Amino acid sequence: MKIAADRVLGIALIGLAAFIAVQAVQLEMPFSYEPVGPKAFPVGLSILLTILSLVMIFRPGPNGPWPHKALALKLLLVLALLLGYAVFFTQLGFIVSSLLVVTALARLFDATWGKALITGVIMSVIGYFLFTTALGISLPSGYWFDTFL
Amino acid sequence: MFDFLIDGFGVALTPLNLGLALLGALLGTLFGALPGIGPINGIAILMPLAYTLGLPAESSLILLAAVYTGAEYGGRMSSILLNVPGDAGAVMTTLDGYPLAQKGLAGPALGLSAVSSFIGATIAIIGLTLFAPLLANVAVMFGPAEFFALMIFAFSSMSVMMGKDPIKTAIGAVLGVLIGTVGIDSGSGVLRYTLGMPELYDGIDFVVMIIGLFAISEILLMLENSHSTDNDGELPPLGRVFVSLKEVLACKGAIIRSGLIGFIIGVLPGTGASVAGAVSYTTEKRLSDKDNTFGTGDMRGLAAPESANNAAAVGSFVPMLTLGIPGSGTTAVLLGALMLYNITPGPMMFTERPEVAGGLIASLYIGNIVLLMLNLPLAGVFARVLTIPRWVLVPAIAILAFVGVYQLHSDLFAIYLMLVIGVFGYLLRKLGFSLAPVILGYVLGGLMEQNLRRALSISGGDVGILWQSGISLGLWVAAVLLLVLPWLIPKLLAARKLSAG
Repeated sequence: MKIAADRVLGIALIGLAAFIAVQAVQLEMPFSYEPVGPKAFPVGLSILLTILSLVMIFRPGPNGPWPHKALALKLLLVLALLLGYAVFFTQLGFIVSSLLVVTALARLFDATWGKALITGVIMSVIGYFLFTTALGISLPSGYWFDTFL
Repeated sequence: MFDFLIDGFGVALTPLNLGLALLGALLGTLFGALPGIGPINGIAILMPLAYTLGLPAESSLILLAAVYTGAEYGGRMSSILLNVPGDAGAVMTTLDGYPLAQKGLAGPALGLSAVSSFIGATIAIIGLTLFAPLLANVAVMFGPAEFFALMIFAFSSMSVMMGKDPIKTAIGAVLGVLIGTVGIDSGSGVLRYTLGMPELYDGIDFVVMIIGLFAISEILLMLENSHSTDNDGELPPLGRVFVSLKEVLACKGAIIRSGLIGFIIGVLPGTGASVAGAVSYTTEKRLSDKDNTFGTGDMRGLAAPESANNAAAVGSFVPMLTLGIPGSGTTAVLLGALMLYNITPGPMMFTERPEVAGGLIASLYIGNIVLLMLNLPLAGVFARVLTIPRWVLVPAIAILAFVGVYQLHSDLFAIYLMLVIGVFGYLLRKLGFSLAPVILGYVLGGLMEQNLRRALSISGGDVGILWQSGISLGLWVAAVLLLVLPWLIPKLLAARKLSAG
């Protein structure tokens, strides 16, 4: 299992190298005033990457343990939360989206509901004023609310 | 000759910069102590904020460098108290640090670690002051061919020294270089690997890259470790708070030797605090472990890696400031921070921007003293940081990462890209890659290609120019020797043994 991961990676990397080389060769230059254009460097890298990947396929190294099922599910949940944070960042605004995501993240990292909610409120509200007034960063206030107000 | 240093102190002693050095030292120690946030993460999170504050280049470099050196101090906390290294440089510190804490000597161990870190860093800062201008004078003679050879040397030194698996280190570096090729090619104006997305025309932003690679992947990793290593609220008692002069003097040989070793290893491109810690510990064990007490709570076994890892952190500034080649993953990030200010570190920096080079070196002297004064009396306070639960830490990192990336261009594309890079970084770490080569490749790759193309433009396409001069030929030979020797020497020794027997 451990060894297989390195082999799969090696094959994927060779695929990547091929993609890079093909893309590089297809580049069309309108003009050229130097002997080495933009193609040579990526092509060289893809050759190097292929050689290194071949070595790894034949001599795979050790990997860390992979997450079991429950943990993998949690990982996907955290990723989904971060993705949701990105999607709603401008729509709900910094305060509301941070409140929701911080509370959910704290819950996922084993905080009780109460502690998670308090963390969420404190971080989103204090964070907003710290970033906007103290550091002068403009953060989205949320245009969904703007249309309602 | 040391004019730059006098000017540098003029820069570093202004109230703003003094305050930033203090703030950086404090934040760095905190970041270093927090589980999972090492120097790179600390800098990755703070860099966009430093940039938004509109600080001048030398001031933000002073802030970030203080965070870096401070994190090396902070990394020892969890090594000594919990047997969990705070970052790669503090791994060897656990070997004798944790047994000392179990004996009830956690307080003196923290104190000794602060004093050894201070002395190791001081040795290295003096070394930096002496050698950096000399090296810069040599490096002024470097042309594109020499720089290209130097980068080849840096990558080969990195493959051998960094990480456990040289092949994976090399693959990581190549992937980093490839990520750096995305965007408009400066030489010809051709679009490379932008996949038709206009947001990628300017390439993958440095801040997006490091926050994704380090902070986001760390959040995902923390989820996995949360069950195995949570020691919430269970710190061993510190015992007496101060280390005695007698204890420090007993370690003076170990501290000074390790400081020198750490500095030299730090100067070598691609090798950082973790290698320095390991080499100094094994050297010291061989030299002075007569009663077999190393590993059971010997103070010298704690002093050696602590002195060496701080010396290496400072030493890695030498190649960064003089050659523009970062000596470690963290200095690669600092190099990128300088590039945000349109400053290309390298030999010309000492003559063209003396306030940046001199100010940084002077601020290292000041920051080092500040760190000692903070860490000796406040060890107990900093140790409390270890008890911050992950459910506070993780959301805080997430908010800082999102705000840091969002404030760049106020667009969401950068945030999505950051998440994609974060998953990529997580997968690499799970597959046994270390991320430092990736970031080094990303930072150096563009420079490497430019120098290669410039050299070949000068020669009209003749590749012979790459090893024509003595300097570049020497660097090529050194690079090849570095790659071949570790593989060849054991075979030669075995052959000799065979013929002798």
